[in-house]
Amino acid sequence: MLVAEGLVKRYGARRALDGFDLTIEPGEIAGLVGHNGAGKTTFVEVVTGLVRPDSGRVSVGGMDVRRDPRGARQRLGFAPQELALYVSATVRDNLRLFAALAGLRRAALHRAVARVAEELQLTGVLDQRAGLLSGGQQRRTQAAGALVGSAPLLLLDEPTAGADPQTRAALLATVRDRAAAGAAVLYTTHYLPELADLGATLAVARSGRVIARGTQDDLVRGLPGELRLRLGGTEPLALPAGIAGRSRVIDGELRVASTDPPADLATLLAAGCSPVAVDVRSPSLDDLYHALAPEVSRAA
Amino acid sequence: MLPETVRSPAPPPRPALPPRPARPPRVIVVPQPDAWRAALARTGAIVRHNTILMLREPGPLASRIVLPLAFLAILHPLYEAAQGRSAGVGQAVIATLVTFSLLALSIAGGSILTERIFHTWERVRASAARPAEVLVGKAVPVMAALLAQQALIVGFGVVVLGLTVTSLPLLALAMVTWTLALLALGAALGVLARSFAELSAAYDIGGMILSSLGGALVPLAAMPGWVRHVAPVSPGYWVAAALRAALRGDSAGTLSASAALLGFALAFGLVAAVRAGRGWGRSARM
Repeated sequence: MLVAEGLVKRYGARRALDGFDLTIEPGEIAGLVGHNGAGKTTFVEVVTGLVRPDSGRVSVGGMDVRRDPRGARQRLGFAPQELALYVSATVRDNLRLFAALAGLRRAALHRAVARVAEELQLTGVLDQRAGLLSGGQQRRTQAAGALVGSAPLLLLDEPTAGADPQTRAALLATVRDRAAAGAAVLYTTHYLPELADLGATLAVARSGRVIARGTQDDLVRGLPGELRLRLGGTEPLALPAGIAGRSRVIDGELRVASTDPPADLATLLAAGCSPVAVDVRSPSLDDLYHALAPEVSRAA
Repeated sequence: MLPETVRSPAPPPRPALPPRPARPPRVIVVPQPDAWRAALARTGAIVRHNTILMLREPGPLASRIVLPLAFLAILHPLYEAAQGRSAGVGQAVIATLVTFSLLALSIAGGSILTERIFHTWERVRASAARPAEVLVGKAVPVMAALLAQQALIVGFGVVVLGLTVTSLPLLALAMVTWTLALLALGAALGVLARSFAELSAAYDIGGMILSSLGGALVPLAAMPGWVRHVAPVSPGYWVAAALRAALRGDSAGTLSASAALLGFALAFGLVAAVRAGRGWGRSARM
């Protein structure tokens, strides 16, 4: 549904996109993650046709965005990162406009508005001005504008930024439903647990290109988890050489980065370690993110 | 490979040409009947939406319609005292129409600036609507408001003050071309202003200068000589000329002044289109 190949976009000397490749299949939710400035939003703007790439190509449903931008736009629903609502109009008026621009008319339009309002728990505020809604309701209205046309490609750029848990849950459930119905979804976010909830595949962007792409299991596999031991004694522990370099002690807890926790635990016990509690933490998307974008970890 | 029967004879050798840069073929998509209907429907949806937006915040529209009638009712005796009954009423109506329609630029400029400030412009641009559909959809309600304002002022002049209109079609032409110039000027202000405060200053100060400079408020004959020399740079000069010519039934005078107004409309429209084409998304600010 979405194919981007070798996209390059320069702003002066800076390359916002530098050979950006990404393919998303129908029914797939692709989580695009990366630090600020990695090229996520520029990529979304290129797909919508708002920004022309210097080179490379991108197509939506087989329609080349540069040659037939309108044909491509007819196949996508877009929720930008910044709130973009007509604040003096009602929620219903906002959704009617985006439904009409997506090609819906009369009864189909009214049905689509009612449906997306129900999905995102906006039915009760349909006739309220968008500017008078809570932040979470505005976020849901923003997303509803992208979803109301039932486009085969959804571009959701940080749709839950600053959203409350209710908004997040409603939005994630709706996105999952749309993907199950066959929509391809590009979902950019800094909240990595959302991508686990969505069962999204991952694309990790850095410096204007995708540096890792695959399922969460594929990408996390091979990353070290953490073996955590709460130590009982007060005497210093001489760690085996193979473990010392991967260990740190935080608040009396020995933490060992480990791809094989049982083996490391056995080694530690054999070395005389006598923990009062043992915990094993599996590698997470956070670990993946920090492993692939080390500059972010250092900044943090 | 072509079959033998349709293969052309070998062409004569030609001198080698320098290689041409690779460029995608230019594709001109002619909208089909269904596409026209879809475009009309989208434009209609944008017109409807912008009408709703204007009516949801009726303050600026109401003030731009009520204030000129009050201004005309209060000040027409001054103009009549200075110029005589017939000419005075005509000058009062023209002064009011030009001054307050320039102040109504806030409606045109504000409708675009609002879209920019609230980021909806980029969102609509990312839809299936063509730029022309968006522009027409935004312009129609504003144009209707501006024409309604002018029609009310002229109607008040005719019904209450006894204004004589020799040629209604010429008057309509002058009003329509002036409205187009206002729309384009308003759009240019709307795309260039960085805030509502800037826009407000531009149409308050600019509107008063343009209407004064054009001889709408006070006849040019009563103004300093340098003003008479620079007056034609103001669209206010040409609309005052078009309206005066239309009121006395002067076709040539109305047409030439209206043509000048269309020139202003094209120039301002070009500025607005070029700036709007660059967009205001995050990337455009980099």
